[in-house]
Amino acid sequence: MATTTAYQVPANLSPTAIANTSSLLRIVALALISAAAIASRLFAVINFESIIHEFDPWFNYRATKVLASEGFYAFWNWFDPTAWYPLGRVVGGTIYPGLMATSGVIFYALKAINLPVDIRNICVLLAPGFSALTAWATYMFTKEMKDESAGLLAAAFIGIVPGYISRSVAGSYDNEAIAIFLLMFTFYAWIKALKTGSAFFGTVAALFYFYMVAAWGGYAFITNMIPLHALALILMGRYSGRLYVGYSSWYAVGTLASMQVPFVGFQPVRTSEHMAALGVFGLLQIIAFAELVRSHVSSKQFRALLFASVIGLGLLGTAGIVGMTYKGWIAPWTGRFYSLWDTGYAKKYIPIIASVSEHQPTAWPSFFMDLQFLIFLFPAGVIMCFRQLRDEHVFVIIYAIVASYFAGVMVRLMLTLTPVVCVAAAIAFSTLLDTYLNPEQPEEETPSAAVPSTAAPSETSSAKKGKKAAPAPATLAELVSNATGPESTKRKTGIFGLDTRLLVILNALGMLVFFVWHCTWVTSSAYSSPSVVLASANPDGSQHIIDDFREAYYWLRQNTPEDAVVMSWWDYGYQIAGMADRPTLVDNNTWNNTHIATVGKAMSSTEEVAYPILRKHDVDYVLIIFGGLIGYSGDDINKFLWMVRIAQGVWPDEIQEPNYFTRTGEYKIDDQASQTMKDSLMYKMSYYRFAELFGGQQAVDRVRGQQVPKTGPTLDYLDEAFTSENWIVRIFQVKKEDLLGRDLKSANSFDQGKKKKRSKPSSRRRAIL
Amino acid sequence: MLGPWRSSVSFFFLAIAPFVSAGHSFENTAIVRTVELGGTVVHVTTTYAVKALEDGSNIYTIALGQKEHEATSALTAKIKGQMAPLEVEKLGAQDGDFQLYDIRLPGYLKAGGTTNLVVETVQTHVTYPYPEEASQKDGQSLKYEADLLVLSPYDTAVQRTKIRSPFPQIHSYTEPNVEFTEDAPVTKSGATLTYGPYKNVFPSANKHFVAEKQQRIYVHYSYDHPVLEIVKLERAAEISHWGANLNIQDNIHLRNAGPRLKGHFSRLEHQSQAFFQRSAPHMLPGLTLHLPAGIRDVYFYDLIGNVSTSQLRTAPSVPKGSQNTQFSVLELKPRYPLMGGWNYSFTLGWDSPLADSAGWDQDLGKWIVGVPVMTVIPGTVIDEEELKIILPEGATEVEFFAPFPALNDELSTAVTYLDTTGRPAVTLRYKNLTDTHAGIVYVAYKVPFSAHLKKPLAVATALTGLFVLAFVWKRVDTRIQK
Repeated sequence: MATTTAYQVPANLSPTAIANTSSLLRIVALALISAAAIASRLFAVINFESIIHEFDPWFNYRATKVLASEGFYAFWNWFDPTAWYPLGRVVGGTIYPGLMATSGVIFYALKAINLPVDIRNICVLLAPGFSALTAWATYMFTKEMKDESAGLLAAAFIGIVPGYISRSVAGSYDNEAIAIFLLMFTFYAWIKALKTGSAFFGTVAALFYFYMVAAWGGYAFITNMIPLHALALILMGRYSGRLYVGYSSWYAVGTLASMQVPFVGFQPVRTSEHMAALGVFGLLQIIAFAELVRSHVSSKQFRALLFASVIGLGLLGTAGIVGMTYKGWIAPWTGRFYSLWDTGYAKKYIPIIASVSEHQPTAWPSFFMDLQFLIFLFPAGVIMCFRQLRDEHVFVIIYAIVASYFAGVMVRLMLTLTPVVCVAAAIAFSTLLDTYLNPEQPEEETPSAAVPSTAAPSETSSAKKGKKAAPAPATLAELVSNATGPESTKRKTGIFGLDTRLLVILNALGMLVFFVWHCTWVTSSAYSSPSVVLASANPDGSQHIIDDFREAYYWLRQNTPEDAVVMSWWDYGYQIAGMADRPTLVDNNTWNNTHIATVGKAMSSTEEVAYPILRKHDVDYVLIIFGGLIGYSGDDINKFLWMVRIAQGVWPDEIQEPNYFTRTGEYKIDDQASQTMKDSLMYKMSYYRFAELFGGQQAVDRVRGQQVPKTGPTLDYLDEAFTSENWIVRIFQVKKEDLLGRDLKSANSFDQGKKKKRSKPSSRRRAIL
Repeated sequence: MLGPWRSSVSFFFLAIAPFVSAGHSFENTAIVRTVELGGTVVHVTTTYAVKALEDGSNIYTIALGQKEHEATSALTAKIKGQMAPLEVEKLGAQDGDFQLYDIRLPGYLKAGGTTNLVVETVQTHVTYPYPEEASQKDGQSLKYEADLLVLSPYDTAVQRTKIRSPFPQIHSYTEPNVEFTEDAPVTKSGATLTYGPYKNVFPSANKHFVAEKQQRIYVHYSYDHPVLEIVKLERAAEISHWGANLNIQDNIHLRNAGPRLKGHFSRLEHQSQAFFQRSAPHMLPGLTLHLPAGIRDVYFYDLIGNVSTSQLRTAPSVPKGSQNTQFSVLELKPRYPLMGGWNYSFTLGWDSPLADSAGWDQDLGKWIVGVPVMTVIPGTVIDEEELKIILPEGATEVEFFAPFPALNDELSTAVTYLDTTGRPAVTLRYKNLTDTHAGIVYVAYKVPFSAHLKKPLAVATALTGLFVLAFVWKRVDTRIQK
C-alpha cells in the first residue's frame, strides 16, 4: 500500500459522502468565484463613483432610462429627434435592445417587490452581475470538455481575467457586458445538444442565441462558429443523428427567433454573413437524406450515384448562393467584415472605422496584459484537446484558431478570444494538477503487487486533497471512472515521490498567485477609469478629481435653451445627449458618413466657410475638447487629422490633408504651423485666448510640447461661451447674423473701433470738389 | 385631524371684527420704520408708539400697502422689549389697495394708556438688479422699491422711514415732495437714508389717501454679495424606526438672481480675477451650509452624478435637551461658478440618528419627530417648497404641528423598500420662505408593535415560499417516461 501512494490518504469514506462533499465544495467554490468576479469589477465604483463610463454606455443608459420611465412600447417606437440633428434617429429599429431590456426587466422586477433601485445603479452594476453568470456558464462549458475541476478553474480564470474585465467593469454598460455570458451559454447549450442529440438543448441554444442577437452585433460570431463546427464534424466523417437534431433545432428556431429583432430583420436570409449557417443547414438535410436512403438500399452502384448526387446538390446550393449574391438578392460582405481580412482596408475606404482606436490591430504586449500566463497555457490546452478529440474538443480547437486570428486583427475582438483562452488554459492546468496531485505512483519493475485494495482509498484521497487547493482537481467523475477499473490498467507512467509533486504544484500555485496579483493590478490601474472623470493626485497624495466634462455638460444642461443644438466631434455625441440633454449633430452611432464629414469640414475650414455650414444646421454651440493646459492627450487637436481625412473623403477639392502639415511634413501647432491649420476653426477655438493665460510668458501646449504663438487667434463668427476649470472643454456660441446686415467680421472690427482699410481713400469726395 | 390651526370659524368672526372694534380708538404718537436692505430678502421693522383713546381697547389695526402685502412673507408683532409674539389676524381684502391686520394686545389699554408695538416683516422679491445685465468685470447694483408712507387707520403724530444699505454706496434715491413736512423730505447720512419725519398724518388706510398721497420711492444701491434664490426646494424626510434613522434629502434648484451675465463667461477673466482676489460680486463660487450635528453619510450630487467639490466637517450629536450650538458645516461648490442668471440644481442629503430628533410622548402615547423646514442659506428666498415627511410603515393617528401655516397639506402613501402596505406621508407646501421661517415641523404618530413586524414577516414569507417551491420542484418527479 505504502509503495503505491505518494502520500497518506484517508480510507473508509463512503462514496455518497465523497459525492456530497465535492458537490458542496463546488457550490461554495462557484459562489466564491462569482463574488470575486463581482468584487474585482467594483474598483471603478470605489475609486470614483457609481457612474456610467466611456461613450457608448451613455447612450445605452439614456435608452434604458426611456425604457424604464416610458415603458417598453414607447421605447420600441422611440424616434429620437435630438440625435443626428436635423435627421433624427429611429432608435427602436437601430439598436440591439437586449441590454436595455435586461436592465428594464430587472428594474421592473425590483419595483414589483417594492424595492426601488435607481435605474442608474442597475445599469452600473449589470456588467459585474453578468460576469458572475459568465463564470458559471464557462464552468458548465468546460465541464463538458473535461471535468468539474477544469470547469472551476475556467470559471475562476474568466472571473478575473483582464481581457474580459476590460469590458465589464461596473459602469461599463455596453452590449458586451451581457454578451459574453450569452456567448458562453449558447456554446454550452450547443455542445450539450450535440453530445446528447437533444432537441431540447438545441432549442435552449436557439433561445440564448436569440437573446445574443438581441444584445450584441457580435452574434455573427456564433452564427458562423456553430456551422463551422458542424461542417468540420461532417468533413471528419463524424456525421451523426445527434449532430443533425442539435444543429437543425438550433438553426430553425434560432434563425426564426433572431429575425424578430427589428435591427436584424431579414438579414439572416439576405446577407453573406449568415449564409454559412444556411448552407450547412442545407448540407445536413442532404446528408441526412442520403443516410436515410443508404440505410435502406444496399446496392453499391446506387450508393455511388447517391454520393455523386449529394456532391452535385451541394455544389448547386453553393452556386445558387453565389449567384444570388451576384444578383444582389443576398447582400455581399460589409466593409467592416472585409476589414477583418485586410487590416489596411478600413484605412483606405472607411476612415471612420479606422479612426476608432479599438479597431486597430492588437499589439502583442496587450495579449500578455489581458491574459497573463493563460496565453502560455492556451496552446497547451488546445493540444490537450487533440488527445481525446471528441466532438466538443473540435469545437474548442476551431474556436481557438478563429478567435486567435480575430484577436490579432482588432483590439476589441480580444474579448471573444478570452473565453476560449480561459477554457483551454483551464484544461491544461487541470491536467497538470490531476497528474501531480494523483497519489498513485506508477508500478516499479517488480511484478504486480496486489493493487485492488488500494484503489478506493487512493481516489478518496485525491478528492480530499482537492478541497485544500481552491480548484478542486479530482472530483466525482474521475473518482467514479477510477473506481470502476483501475486494476486492469496498471499505470506504467507517473510521478514518483512527494518532492517532484510539491515542486510542480507549488510552482503552479505560484503562477496562479501571480495571475491574481496581475489581474488585480491591471483592473485597478488600467481598466477602472470612467474616462468621464479623470483622476490626478494632489501634492499630499490624496486623489484629486478632474471633472471638467461634467462641469461643461451640466452647464449646457442648466443654462442653455433646451433646443440649443450642440456641434462636436462624434466621440462626444452620446455624452452630450446623455449628460447635457441637448440635440447633437453627430454621435457615436456613426451611420451617416456625410453628416460626420460635414462636421469635419466645419471644424477644418476657415471661419468664413464654416459659418454658413453652422447656420444651415442651426448650430448654437460648438463644443471642443482641449487638453493643452493640463496635458490631456485625448483632445480634439490630436483627433483633428481624422476630421480632415473624413472631410476629405467627401470634399476632396476643398479639404486636403497635406495642407495641415508644415512644409517639412510635421504636424505642428506653433509658429511654424501651416496657414490652413492656423485658419481652421478647430485650431482657432482650441487656442482662443490660450496664450493670454500665461500672462506674457511663453505659452506651452502641454500635450504636444510645443510653444503656442504669443498672439492667439481671433474669432469673428463665434464667441466663447464657457470654458471648464482646466480648459478641457470649451464651448463656443455661434453668433447670429448681424442685425445691420454686415458680415460678422467687419461688424466685429467696427465694434473694436478699427478703421476699415480703404483702398482708395475719399476719392469720391475729391471728385465732387 | 389635519391642520388643527385652521379654524375657519374664528376667521369668520375676525373678518367682521374691524368694523366692530376698530373705531378710532387709537392714535399713533410715532411710527418709525427701519428697512434693512439685502439681496432677495429685505427685513422691515416698524415700531408703532400707540396711545389708546378709549377704555378697554385691545385690538390694534395696522395696514400694509397692497404691493407691500404681496411681497411680505412673514409678519410678527411684539410689544417692545418682550419676546412673546402677539396674535395677528389678517382681515378680508380691501379692494386691492391695502391690507389690514388686527393685532390683539396682551392687555386692555385705558384711555390715554400707551404701548410700543414692534411689527417685523420680511419682504421678498422687492429688489431687482439694475442694470439688469452686468459683465464679469462689473459690480452689482440693486434697486429697492417701496411706498413712502406707512399706512395706518389712525392719526399719526410723526412718522419716519429709515432705509439702511449693507454697503456704503447708494447710487441714487427718490426725493419726494411731501406735504407733511417743512424740512427736507429725505436726508442721507452714510449708508442710511431717512425719509421724514412727517408730521400729523391723518388716517391713511383708505382708498382716497392711497390714491392721492401715497408715493413710490426707490433706492439704487450697491450690493456686493451674490443674490440667491431657490426656485424650488423639495425636501423629503424619511423616518425609519428599524434603522433608527432620519434621512433628509433636499432637491434644490438654485438660481443666481443677480444681474444677468452680459456677453459670455470667460474662464480666463474668471481665473485672473480669482488670482488677484477681485472676483465679480455677482458670482457665487460656493455655499457654506450649516447642517444639523450628528449627521453622517452626507451626499451631494446632481442629475449627472456625484459632485466631488465639497468639504464637510461634522459635529457630534448633541444630547437631547441641551443647547445646540454646534453644526456640521458643509462647504459645497457647484460644478461651475454661478454667474448672474445661471441655474444650478442639485441634491443634498444626509442621515442622522433618529434619537436626535425623535421622542416618545408618555401622555399622548405617541412618537414625536421634529423635521426642520429647511436648511437656511442666509439672505436667500425659497420661492416654493414641498416638504414631505415619510413616516414608518403602519404609522397611525398622524398629527402634525407646523411652526407657521402651510399653503396646503395632504396625507398620502409612499411605497418603498420592501413595503407591503406603504408608509403614510405628510406633504406640506410653502411659498416665499426666508431665514425667519427656519422652524421645525413636529409630527406625532403611533406605531403598533405589529407594524414593526410587517417587513420581516413579509420577507420571511416570500423566502419560505420560494424554498417550498424549490423543495417541491426538486422532489416531485414530473417526467412522463420513467
